[in-house]
Amino acid sequence: MRRLVSVIAGVAAATAAAAAIAEPVVSLKDPAGDDNGPGAYTYPTDAVYKPGSFDILSFDVDVKGSDVVFKVGVRSKIEDPWDSKAWQGNGFSLQFVQVYIDTDRKDGSGTCEGLPGMNVRFRSASCWEKVVLVSPQPKSRLQSEIGQKAAKMKAGVVIPTATRVDGKTLVATVKASDLGGKPAKGWGYAVPLQSNEGYPDSKEVLTRKVNEYAGQHRFGGGSDYACDPHVIDMIVAPGQGGADEVRMQHSALKYSCDDQDKPKVELPMVYP
Amino acid sequence: MRRGLLAAVTGAMALAAAPPANADIANFDLAARIYTKWLYRNNDSQGLLNLGTPHPDGDDYAGDNGVGTEFELKFFGRVSKYVQGYARIQSRFGELWQDWWESGNRWYDGETNTSGESGGMNHASYIKLRGTFVRAAIPIPTIDWVTIGSSDLGMFNPWSIGKVRYIDRDNAKGIFLDGHVGDGIFSYNLAVIALPKLYVGPYWSTGLTDPNLPNPFWSADWAYGAKFTVAPSFGTFTLVSTLTNDVEIDRSDPDAVGSLYPDCTDDLGNPIVGCAKDHAVDYFSRYMNSVTTIEAQVEPLSWMSVNAFGGFSAGLIDRKLAANGVERMAGVSPVVYKDTYDFAVRARVELSDPFDIGLSIKAEYFNIGAEWNSIFGARRESDVLLTDGFLEGGQLPTLNLANEFVDFDEPWYESCIGWHGGTLVAQYAIGGFDMSAEGTYMTYNTNAQDRDVETTYPNFLHEDGFTDTDLYDYANTTDRGRDPRSVYHLNQDRRTAIAVLNARYVFDVLGGLELSTKAKFIHDLDYRSHTTASDDYTGDLLTWRGKVGLGVAPGLLVEAGAQIDRWWEKRRDGTLKTGYGDIDTAKHRAFAGLTYEFEGLKFRYAIEFLDKDQFREPRKPDQHWLVFRSKASLEVNW
Repeated sequence: MRRLVSVIAGVAAATAAAAAIAEPVVSLKDPAGDDNGPGAYTYPTDAVYKPGSFDILSFDVDVKGSDVVFKVGVRSKIEDPWDSKAWQGNGFSLQFVQVYIDTDRKDGSGTCEGLPGMNVRFRSASCWEKVVLVSPQPKSRLQSEIGQKAAKMKAGVVIPTATRVDGKTLVATVKASDLGGKPAKGWGYAVPLQSNEGYPDSKEVLTRKVNEYAGQHRFGGGSDYACDPHVIDMIVAPGQGGADEVRMQHSALKYSCDDQDKPKVELPMVYP
Repeated sequence: MRRGLLAAVTGAMALAAAPPANADIANFDLAARIYTKWLYRNNDSQGLLNLGTPHPDGDDYAGDNGVGTEFELKFFGRVSKYVQGYARIQSRFGELWQDWWESGNRWYDGETNTSGESGGMNHASYIKLRGTFVRAAIPIPTIDWVTIGSSDLGMFNPWSIGKVRYIDRDNAKGIFLDGHVGDGIFSYNLAVIALPKLYVGPYWSTGLTDPNLPNPFWSADWAYGAKFTVAPSFGTFTLVSTLTNDVEIDRSDPDAVGSLYPDCTDDLGNPIVGCAKDHAVDYFSRYMNSVTTIEAQVEPLSWMSVNAFGGFSAGLIDRKLAANGVERMAGVSPVVYKDTYDFAVRARVELSDPFDIGLSIKAEYFNIGAEWNSIFGARRESDVLLTDGFLEGGQLPTLNLANEFVDFDEPWYESCIGWHGGTLVAQYAIGGFDMSAEGTYMTYNTNAQDRDVETTYPNFLHEDGFTDTDLYDYANTTDRGRDPRSVYHLNQDRRTAIAVLNARYVFDVLGGLELSTKAKFIHDLDYRSHTTASDDYTGDLLTWRGKVGLGVAPGLLVEAGAQIDRWWEKRRDGTLKTGYGDIDTAKHRAFAGLTYEFEGLKFRYAIEFLDKDQFREPRKPDQHWLVFRSKASLEVNW
């Protein structure tokens, strides 16, 4: 009996120790119900796009040994309606998260354009050095898409060694060396959520379009031109999930199609 | 006026400044696809599909050797902000590249000749309208969309009205209302759907070919569905209720075609009281199936998910209007030939990495009644249970499974009617490594003695032995084991244990080097008749598979692997009169594949070698298979 108690105590201690080790280095929240981009975006009309599928609730970054683990939580259970196993995918179908990371916070350093299809850019003071693709697509497809449509950005694109689903959370594991090191204080993150499009536009990296009117597989409430940010939800500072962050998101993603020369929407980085 | 002119000029300037128009910014989008498939095997059957329809007079394009192409064009119209249109046209898939000149003009009933028109329409690649819908956001309070036309029926659930299989994705047509109240906390879906004239009823139809119906009537057969969802912040609660109703004309009505009493007199010539022509025909329900389910999904903790599901199914059959398919079709029937009522319950708890160490746990209890049936439920491409089951594809609570129109590399589905048990799955993932272990134990609500499988309960004729999905044939000329729909047996007292282990590691080499393995063991025990031990069945199935996949270059993935199966089955099949025989099975499979994607082009290739021995002596001769087969596909979408 004593042995049993000591075994249980040992397991509990080990579990607690593991939990302590796994304390996230970044933990941000996002309010529920703001999965409407700048405020008017609507989901595609097909039944697979269930409410909450694109509503970010949390974003965590953990360090585990030489790996960095990114976790993106959404409001509804993550499903796999298009059977990703059949196309060597990662166990989900709909979501596509791009985690942009500013690792040096130097003005003018890094890439200031978002990946093709997002219709976003970044301020020169917060351009990105790395972007992690949390996608259902297999690595070879991602490599192919980046090579063909974003070759200039290729050096900064990080494809996880593993991507999986855990309930309502997407989990992507990246080698710290691929990020240039373990996450450090001062790094900034932009976490826009898009939808995986297996048949993308010839110039867009696996992103689903946002049109003026929603379609069976198109988001609505945006523009048919490329002036609207193709971002359904994102984390904004301070990343505590407050109601004011809804307004801040809408403000950050506000766009205009009147002046085609006007730069695209600038995504804000969050510096936890 | 001046303001209007200014606005027009401004608008014109804005348009001029806009990027060049393309299909996206017109009022409709076009999407097209060209798909080519090569299918080859070391046998002499010609065609483009490994398993076509099981109907003996069905398609004539199924076979193992051939190459063919299809073309698809989809139109997505944006009529206005509130109105959409959709249409899909697609060519018939069945013309071999060798079928030059086929126009489908004539059909010579199987005769081979040199006319160039001998294959029939199945080989003519004609373009057919496959589906249309009009969708409108009508300004009626609470209504989001009204859809009139095609739908894949994905709004309900696999237990009631299931999402139709991919090849049927536009075939179901009806009227659909989607709406919500407030901020979406309460939402609803309502539907009236035209029943397919085949499969959703006794005799595999809603009247067609039923010998009890001289004038089958299917144009007024409908399914009705309602789904109500309440989604407060702590969970989602869903009620689904559906009804399929196959109606037929009242043959005693003097106005009906083929009426028994066209002049309102009986066989003796006496007038029938109350009988009078009124130029209207009355209807009766031939078969009704109603399913109501309630499901609660709550997340009490961020890492805990609880799902509770309960349902009730009822099937009502009019024996005068529906012939006995169990009796007349050798037990191959999608319904029990009597009125049926039963319940189903499922409870699932998922703990998603509660200790943040990569360990997740799933537990499930399931109890599906022996006479549950979802006549219009999902037929494939869905899965209602956690377990890997006997077959890897999925488990569905219907006798209407569709393991047809598939090739050798596609998943299989089995009926879980009557299953009662529990499953525990542990998953562990860290870095590039993940593994899962499953344990399932179940018994069967269908366990019974002296069940009437001659006239009431369909046994699907072939009810014994593990199903060999690698070498399946509908007519069972090769001793391929039980039909995946065979849940009712004359005598059954059965229980099953399933253990599955999956492991995978991804090395960060090139485009990813993935090593994976799967091991599965099933112990299946059926005491069958309680009157003797001489028929007791014991089946042990052991499967191991190992696979390596490598992303060789951007867009290029190759994989190879092997699988070994050993099945030991004691008293596998036979009868009490003839006795039962043992059968051992050994299968070895080696396979390789390649996927290449480039600028919108997708190419896939799979080849396998299959060596199977079935040791049946002394009751029957042993059998041996040596199969090489391959499948390739080339697809472009734009």
